[in-house]
Amino acid sequence: MQAVISFKESGGRATLDPRTSILSIFVISMVMIGGGLSGVEYWLRLFCCLIPFVFLVTVHNYQFAAIYLGLYLFSAVIEGAVIQLTSGGWNLLFVIVAGIISRFLAPMVMGYCVMQSTTVSEFVTAMERIHVPQVITIPLSVMFRFFPTISEENKAVSEAMRMRQISGKKQSLIKKMEYELVPVMMSTVRIADELSQASLTKGLGGDIKRTHICEVGLRIRDYVLMLFLLVVTVLFVVY
Amino acid sequence: MKNKLTVKDLINIGVFTALYIVVFFVSSFIGYVPIFMVLLPVICAVVVGIPFMLFLSKVHTFGMVTVMSIILGFFAMLLGRPWPVLFIAVAAGVVAELLLKIKDYKSIKMAIIGSGVFSIWMMGMTLPMFFGYREPYFESIRAGYGDTFADTLYAITPDWMFFVLIVLCVVGGILGGLLGAAVLKKHFKKAGMA
Amino acid sequence: MIMIEIKNVTFSYRVTDTVGNPVLRTGVSGLNLTIRDGEFIVLTGSSGCGKTTVCRLINGLIPHYFDGEKSGEVLLNGRDISAQPIYETAQTVGSVFQNPRSQFFNVDTTSELAFFAENQGRAPEKIRSDIQEISDKMELSELLGRSMFKLSGGEKQKIACGTIAVADSSVIVLDEPSSNLDTNAIEDLRKVLAMWKEQGKTVVIAEHRLYFLRELADRVILFESGEIKKEIAGKEFRELSADATKELGLRTVQSHSASAFKEWKETMEYFTLTNFRFSYPDKVHGIDISSLTLPKNKIIAIVGHNGAGKSTLARTFCGLHKKAKGTVKLGDKTVPVTKMLDYCYMIMQDVNHQLFTESVQEEVLLSVSESLPETEREQIARNALEMLDIEKYAEMHPMALSGGQKQRVAIASGIAADKEFILMDEPTSGLDYVHMKQVAGVMEMLKEQGKTLLVITHDDELISCCADYILYLEKGSVKHSGPVDIRYDGV
Repeated sequence: MQAVISFKESGGRATLDPRTSILSIFVISMVMIGGGLSGVEYWLRLFCCLIPFVFLVTVHNYQFAAIYLGLYLFSAVIEGAVIQLTSGGWNLLFVIVAGIISRFLAPMVMGYCVMQSTTVSEFVTAMERIHVPQVITIPLSVMFRFFPTISEENKAVSEAMRMRQISGKKQSLIKKMEYELVPVMMSTVRIADELSQASLTKGLGGDIKRTHICEVGLRIRDYVLMLFLLVVTVLFVVY
Repeated sequence: MKNKLTVKDLINIGVFTALYIVVFFVSSFIGYVPIFMVLLPVICAVVVGIPFMLFLSKVHTFGMVTVMSIILGFFAMLLGRPWPVLFIAVAAGVVAELLLKIKDYKSIKMAIIGSGVFSIWMMGMTLPMFFGYREPYFESIRAGYGDTFADTLYAITPDWMFFVLIVLCVVGGILGGLLGAAVLKKHFKKAGMA
Repeated sequence: MIMIEIKNVTFSYRVTDTVGNPVLRTGVSGLNLTIRDGEFIVLTGSSGCGKTTVCRLINGLIPHYFDGEKSGEVLLNGRDISAQPIYETAQTVGSVFQNPRSQFFNVDTTSELAFFAENQGRAPEKIRSDIQEISDKMELSELLGRSMFKLSGGEKQKIACGTIAVADSSVIVLDEPSSNLDTNAIEDLRKVLAMWKEQGKTVVIAEHRLYFLRELADRVILFESGEIKKEIAGKEFRELSADATKELGLRTVQSHSASAFKEWKETMEYFTLTNFRFSYPDKVHGIDISSLTLPKNKIIAIVGHNGAGKSTLARTFCGLHKKAKGTVKLGDKTVPVTKMLDYCYMIMQDVNHQLFTESVQEEVLLSVSESLPETEREQIARNALEMLDIEKYAEMHPMALSGGQKQRVAIASGIAADKEFILMDEPTSGLDYVHMKQVAGVMEMLKEQGKTLLVITHDDELISCCADYILYLEKGSVKHSGPVDIRYDGV
C-alpha cells in the first residue's frame, strides 16, 4: 500500500518534469472520467489511456504494462460485447466493473507512474518553480517523508502485538484497533516533534530564499507531451 | 495567539496529513466490498476522525486546517481523482477552520463539529457518480447498454443521494470526532502528550 | 577568542503534568560557561542533569522552540541568541541529535546532505561541489543517491554529520549522537569529530559514552541537577581510571575496560538451536546456524557488528519471522521456531512500540494468561509490578513515564506473561552509568527467577558486569560461543 502513495526514494532524474506529470494526470483524469464512449471522445479516451502504457514501457516496467493493457482490453471486450449477451444482475455487475476499470485505471496508473519516477525533492523544486508558497511545499515534503516512517512504526507495533500474542486474547476488534493505532499515533507525535527541532536548527523557514541542487527543467519530451495534452484538452472542451 | 504559521505548525500539518491519508486508505479497504462502495466516505470519516482530532489538538494558528485540506485535495488529484475534489476539500477545510476559530481552537465541542464538517471533503471521492459527470456518463451507458439498464442505475444513484451522503459524512465525521476525543482523553492527555 | 558565552542562565521547561496542570521543570540553574573558538567541550552527567538543555541554549531551540522561563543570556559571537531568529543562529551553529530516525527531512541522502546549505541560500553549484568534497573526506560516496530509509542508524548519523559539514557550520552541537550506534559507527563518528577538531571548529557534545572522546576533549564538564558539578581538563580526563569514573557515576573513559568478567559457574541444563535459517530478500543478510547449544538460566550476551544477524537470530528464536526455519530443543521437547512465541518475551529497543494500554497496571495484566481466575491474575500482575519496583506508577499511563521506567513496565509484562526466555534488544543503549547498572540488576533478578536471558548488546560495560555467556555472530553464523571469561576481542 505504501508503494502506491509514496514517491520514489532515490535515484536518477525523473522521466518527465513534475509539472508535465501533474498536467498529464489532470488531463487524463478529466478525459477518462468525464468522456463518453462514442465519437471524438472515444478517440481522445483511447489516446489518454495509452499515455500511462507508454510511460510504463519507457521505464521498463513491462509486467505492469502488460497487466494494464490486459485490463483495458478486458474492459473494452466487456463494454463492446459481453454487455449485449448478458442481462439482469450479471449485466449490472459487468457494467460496473468495466466502467470502473475504463474510467479510473488510467489516471490512477498515471499517478502511480509519476510517483514511481519522481523524487520528493524534484517534486518540491518544481512546485517552488511555479511559485507554490512554502506554506504548502513544507507540509507536502514532510508528508511524503512520513509515509515510510508510518509504515516502519506500524510494522514495529504489529510485531510487538504478535510477540505479546494480542490476537489470541479475548479482546474486541475495537480494542485491537486501539492497540495498533494509538502507539503509532504516539510515535508520530514524538517523531514530528524531533523533526521540527532538527529542521529549525537547519534553518528551515527563514527569510532567506532557499536554493535547490535538484535539476528540474522542461525537455523536448515535456514540450511534446504538453502539446498533445493541449490538443486533447481543446478537442475535449470543444466537443 | 500567534498569527503566522511556524515551521513546527507546517511540520505538524505534514505529519498529520500523512497519518490521515494512511488511515484513510486502510479504512477504505473495507470499501472494496461493493455494497459499501457508496458508503465509503462515511466509514472512512468515522475512522479518520481519530487522527484528525489529534491534529486539532495541535492546531493553534489560523490556516492549519485549510492547508491540510488543500494538501488532501491536491493529493486526491495526484491519485487521479477528478479536479473538483480540490474545491470541495478546500471549502470543507475553510468552513471547519472558521468554526474552530470562533472558539479560538479551544473548544472540544467545536472540534467535534469541525471534524464532521471537514469530512465532507471525501465527497469529492465519489464525484463521478453525480452531477456534471452524470449526464455524459449515462448518455454513453444508454447508447451502449440500452434504456432499461441506464434507468435502473440512474434510479439507484439519484442526485439527492449526494446530499444524503453529505449528511452521512458529517454524521460519520462527528462520530469519528467523538471517538477521537475519547482516545485523546484516555491516552494522550494522560500521557501528557496533548 | 570567545565563541559562546552563557551568562548566569536559569531555564525551566513549562510542561503539563499527568493531571493537565502546567508545571515548571528545571533545566539548568545559575549556569555560567564560556567556550572559546575551536574548543572541544564534552558535557556529561546522568540523564536529566541539564546537558541537553545546554545544547538547546546554544542552538537556539531555547527559547525559540521550548516553552519555559528563562533568565540570563547566551551570547554567540557576542550576539544574544534569544534576540535573533533561530535561522540566524543556524548560520553559525549546526546540530546533530540523538535519534537518527527522526532528524532527517528528506527522503534521499543527497538532498539531505544539501538541505542545510540550501536553507542558507547557497548557490547550487557550490553545494554540489561541496557535497563531492565532503563525501570524499568523510567516506560518504557510497551513500550518495540512496534512500534514507534503507540506511542503518550509523549511516543515518553519518549523513546527519555530513549535512553539517556541507553547510560548514563553525559551531557544532551534538546531543548524545552515539546513543543508537554500534562500535563501528561510533568509530566513524569519532573520525568525523577528529576532523572537525582539526579544522578548528568549536564542538560541544553531550554524551554518556566517553571512551571515544578520550583523545578529543579539551574540557569535560560534569553536570548534576542542572548545575556544573565538576570541570575536568582534557589531560586529566584521559587518565581517569575505571574506579575514578565509577566514583563520578560516569561511563568508562578507557576503550577496553572489560577486564573483570563474571566467573563461569557450570550449569546442568542446556537448550539447543537446530538448523536455524532465515534470509532476507536481498539474499545477503540472514542467519544460518546448524547447531548451537546454550546454557539455560544464564545471561547470554549476543554480540557482533551491524548486520551480523543478531536481531534476526533473536527474532527467529522468538518466532517473529514467519518464514524462518529451525527447531529448539528444550529438555525433552522439540519446539519448531514458529511455536517459540509461547516461550519467549522480547523487550524491544524502542519500548514505545510494545506498550498499548492506558495504565501500567493494565499493561501488565494484558500479559497474564486469561485462563486463570481474575483474582489470581491481579495477584500475578501486582507481584510483577512489585518485583520491578513500579507499583507506585500502577495507575499512570505508560507513556507518561521516563524511558527507563517504560522499560521496566515492559519487563514486568514479560514476567507476568510467565515466559521462560526473555530477550532484550540493546537494553542499555543511551543509558548513563547508574541506569545501566540498574538494568544489569534487573537482569540478575530475572535470572534468579529462573529465566534465561538473551541480550543483544554493544555495551562492553554491561557485558562485563552481568553476562555469563557470550555468543559472537558474524555474517549470520556463530563465530564464537562460550563462557564470558574467555576474552573476546571487544565487539
